[in-house]
Amino acid sequence: MVKTKQQKIKDFLINNGVIIVMFILVIYTGFTSKNFFTSNNLMNILMNMSSRLVIALGIAGCVITAGCDLSAGRMIGFGGCIAGVLLQRMDYSGKFFPDLQPVNVFAAALIVMVICAMFGTVTGFFIAYLSVPPFIATLAMMEIVYGINLIFTNATPLGGYVKNYTDVANGKFLGINYLIWIAIIVAAITWFIFNMTRHGKYMYAIGGNPQAAEVAGVPVKKTLILIYMKAAAMYGLAGFMLGAKAGGASVQLGYGYEMEAIAACTIGGVSVTGGRGKVSSAIIGVAVFELLKAALQYLGVDANAQYIAIGIVIFVAISLDIRKYIAKK
Amino acid sequence: MTLGTFIEMAGIPLLLFVICMYYGLRLFIFQDISLIRGKDKGPVKDEKAYAREGGKLILLFGAATLLMMVLIFVNLYVAVGEIIVCTLILGVLWKRMNDKYGDISSD
Repeated sequence: MVKTKQQKIKDFLINNGVIIVMFILVIYTGFTSKNFFTSNNLMNILMNMSSRLVIALGIAGCVITAGCDLSAGRMIGFGGCIAGVLLQRMDYSGKFFPDLQPVNVFAAALIVMVICAMFGTVTGFFIAYLSVPPFIATLAMMEIVYGINLIFTNATPLGGYVKNYTDVANGKFLGINYLIWIAIIVAAITWFIFNMTRHGKYMYAIGGNPQAAEVAGVPVKKTLILIYMKAAAMYGLAGFMLGAKAGGASVQLGYGYEMEAIAACTIGGVSVTGGRGKVSSAIIGVAVFELLKAALQYLGVDANAQYIAIGIVIFVAISLDIRKYIAKK
Repeated sequence: MTLGTFIEMAGIPLLLFVICMYYGLRLFIFQDISLIRGKDKGPVKDEKAYAREGGKLILLFGAATLLMMVLIFVNLYVAVGEIIVCTLILGVLWKRMNDKYGDISSD
């Protein structure tokens, strides 16, 4: 059936309703608050976006296969705490392991990613080989990681980081913050994996129809494990970035970030029903989400009311996504 | 102990308990397997048994998270050990349940 121009416009408005409303809100905020459209504020928003984008790109892989990863937030907290322990100053009075020399920043990031990836592999194994639904497997992992992190840190906040680590958040290259560079590099690698590798094609095939993918010879189980492993490594990296930015970490770091990441992916166009989504979808979603938060702050909206606004956005975005799915069926 | 400390320590297991109860009961009572399988997955061998057993397992895991919440205040190591063991048991039982009542292709 050929759609009329009016129908096309109506579909466009419905499908992109959340983005359009937020765009209008941002424009309104820009005109009513004189500091909103400044380079400083833009840099702040980009800094906030950087770690959120790394998380969203990790989750996007899981969502494309019609899964989810609810352990992201706890994994971020764990990653932040491991990085914190490895990078505390020797002269810091509250040093967690007094005899442990701070390691190289890159090595710390790598260690964090590897440890988190190991947990992601276990989650993937549960989903792929034991057929446990993703939300149950990731909920279980969320609890295990939270418990391990409580034991690891004894629920004590960490601080007193070496300068090299805090410089990851403060330092700049070509006038752009390192955190933003990390996000750009991760986005580029993810784009390459999604679009240029066999693994990326398998991922979309599994999301579209897992049975058909299996019949077509896609190694569904191995691919699923890789997706959850890769995602967990990204959460670890995000925890490392957030720790550097905050100058400290605790078990509560990253609380609720998984929901925001899933919502950002959905707003951008990664379908929760699987098989659809791009790196640009995650970037758009995260940008829209961070702009909304900044706009609400500039408009002087009460902090608690901001949660309500964000909740409504998540609800509307997911409802519209499901509407798209039903219309497509 | 203040309410804030309690929530900080036991908030996550408590939240998981509520989620498990919600999904477990819905699965057990309404036997709607699309709740956990999604809408695009293929048919199962025995829908009613799959929903009943799946619901039971989720409810049991919910109980395990509740136990973890209590154990967190007694001994953290025991609490983590308990949830790891329960997760492993859940995985094995789920696999068995899925082989018996679930995916037709798993024959």
